[in-house]
Amino acid sequence: MKAYTPLLTGTVTKYVFVESPEMTPSDLAIRAYEISQGVMIKETCFGLQVTGREEDVNRIIDSLRALDPTHIFVKDRGFPPGDPRRCRANLGGARPGYFGHEFEMGLVRFISRGLSALPSRRPDDMPRPPVPEKRERLDAARLKEIIGSQES
Amino acid sequence: MANVFIFPTTSLILSDLVARFGHTPLSAAMQIREIVQTPGLESPPLQITPEDPKKGLRWAAVEVPAGVRGRMSLYGPLLDRAEAAIIVNNADFSFGCMGCARTNELLMFLIRKKGIPVLDLEYPANEEEGVEFVAAIKRFLDSLPGGRA
Amino acid sequence: MTRVRIAQLSCGPEYSGVQKEINDAAAAVDAEIFFPDLKLADIRQSFSEFGLDVRSPDLKLAIARAKALVEGRVEADAVFIATCFRCAEAAIVRNELRRFIHEKSRLPVVSYSFTERTTSGTLLTRMEALTTIARRRALLAREVQEGITMGVDSGSSTTKAVVMKDNRIIGTGWLPTTGVIESAENAVSEALSAAGISRDEIQAIGTTGYGRFLVGEHLKADLIQEELTVNSKGAVFLADSQHGPSTVIDIGGMDNKAISVQDGIPGTFTMGGICAGASGRFLEMTAKRLGVDITELGPLAMKGLSQKVPMNSYCIVFGTQSLVNALAAGSTPEDVAAAACHSVAEQVFEQQLQEVDIKEPVIMVGGTSLIQGLVRAMGDLLQTPITVPPYSQYIGAVGSALLASGFIRRE
Repeated sequence: MKAYTPLLTGTVTKYVFVESPEMTPSDLAIRAYEISQGVMIKETCFGLQVTGREEDVNRIIDSLRALDPTHIFVKDRGFPPGDPRRCRANLGGARPGYFGHEFEMGLVRFISRGLSALPSRRPDDMPRPPVPEKRERLDAARLKEIIGSQES
Repeated sequence: MANVFIFPTTSLILSDLVARFGHTPLSAAMQIREIVQTPGLESPPLQITPEDPKKGLRWAAVEVPAGVRGRMSLYGPLLDRAEAAIIVNNADFSFGCMGCARTNELLMFLIRKKGIPVLDLEYPANEEEGVEFVAAIKRFLDSLPGGRA
Repeated sequence: MTRVRIAQLSCGPEYSGVQKEINDAAAAVDAEIFFPDLKLADIRQSFSEFGLDVRSPDLKLAIARAKALVEGRVEADAVFIATCFRCAEAAIVRNELRRFIHEKSRLPVVSYSFTERTTSGTLLTRMEALTTIARRRALLAREVQEGITMGVDSGSSTTKAVVMKDNRIIGTGWLPTTGVIESAENAVSEALSAAGISRDEIQAIGTTGYGRFLVGEHLKADLIQEELTVNSKGAVFLADSQHGPSTVIDIGGMDNKAISVQDGIPGTFTMGGICAGASGRFLEMTAKRLGVDITELGPLAMKGLSQKVPMNSYCIVFGTQSLVNALAAGSTPEDVAAAACHSVAEQVFEQQLQEVDIKEPVIMVGGTSLIQGLVRAMGDLLQTPITVPPYSQYIGAVGSALLASGFIRRE
């Protein structure tokens, strides 16, 4: 087996995604380039990736988030941008994680709605989601009764 | 600030909300970053080597498929650090790191067994559910040590 | 040579540390692995249309990718399906996808269940067969041997050589494999002298089997080819079943092959890495223990009843233990021989034949096909008559000689 020497050690990469009526991914990228100061910025389908020392990345992300706080979403990424091991050009198709983004980006508008609506609601009025449903099964004895009543 | 395990561990939405409300999301990306930035033997794409499923033996026995044990070698250390967890129960289309249902079942079980605070949710399907979803997460996170409550 | 593009449908290899092994095996035969590109909406729709409601998202993705290949939305030359060993959910998907692709497309497909110990070496023969089928359809379409050609099969137990002329076998050689090249040389001399032909009259040479590369280089072979495609070709040629479906079973000294063939070209196949209790080696051991030659084991087994002796083990050590126990308890050599044949057939049936679709005629080839007791046991298990063609023990050599005639230079 070949020895593996990692590249870009000590860096972090974060995704900054935007789903907004006010701002497109390329608008976001332009703002990011303006404040990048040498930190690596890479545009993607849903926004951009920022790679560099953690404090630099966080500084840029804080400024970007402030542009449209309820419509910009951030998460960590394990690989740096364009890594050949994850790149679509080398894999023939999207890496599995991409579909996860596609899925959640279809839902973030509801999250944006939540983020913008919450501050205007009093804490007591904060809605509670239903606990994920666990349906009770019909008791076997009761089922027997029903069958019995149908037959008679 | 609490370390919050998120399920799916790849979730943009959960990762963002946990960080936004002042806590640390424990995500798959952190683990992947650690292994791709550690020198060793070349094993693309994820730098998981045949040794990693063996590390997974701590969480699953040898007759459990290699893919489950390899994944557990990624998430097991996150479980160790978790102080709370948010679980989305209908994450049916989370691929790759979350691509194995058996691993996911084991993970859920281990989270619940740990006895830490857990918030169970489903993905919102409309705007009002979005409000409920965000509110529930905020309320949960605020109640954790270091939260804003 | 064009690079063969193999679509990978899988769950787990990246997390088991074996994706690199898959990539390396493909690269070794000048092929590349790729992942069919889809959109999330396609995944949802294809998964629901396929109708197999599995839980694991990566298996859903594999299903959607298989549909995209079959429907021609994504182009590929071959398909490799890989899931974790011991995962029931994945095993169901693996089998159904293999069957689906085999039935609905012309794409060659091989499926494999891996552990973290799977290496590129284990995968190499499978990848080689996969790429050969994709790359050499024209060569594999050959149905008639022309000119004077020779085939050499350098197997793990025995080395076989065959000389063919104008679609007929005119000389054979057969020896236990000791030194790879030395055994090949001797088998070749034997075949040439039986044919009454000198070496320089041979117009083309093909080699196959474990020692194919070494022997191929030594003999300056025109064709060096793995045994899956070669044996399929040899089997349908000898059984005179070159058109339509057939199933080829080869229980070898070190591994077993079960190949589902269509018009002489393998569609799906398994190659067993299962234990020695399910190999020809166990029958050799049995013969030795019973004090008979391996050629006598078959007739002996035909006189016995396998049900009288409990024997059913993948493992050659445990199998031998059953054998010794049975003899000590007074079982007859006939019953023990029959039980050993049944045991081997049963392991192959349970472990491998479930992975290919059995279509008649079922053709058994290789040295073990000469053991009638084994053939009978397999026929009983499959509930179908088994064809054992003439020269079945020379199958690889015959297939090689047949295919090699495609390399004869026309004047």
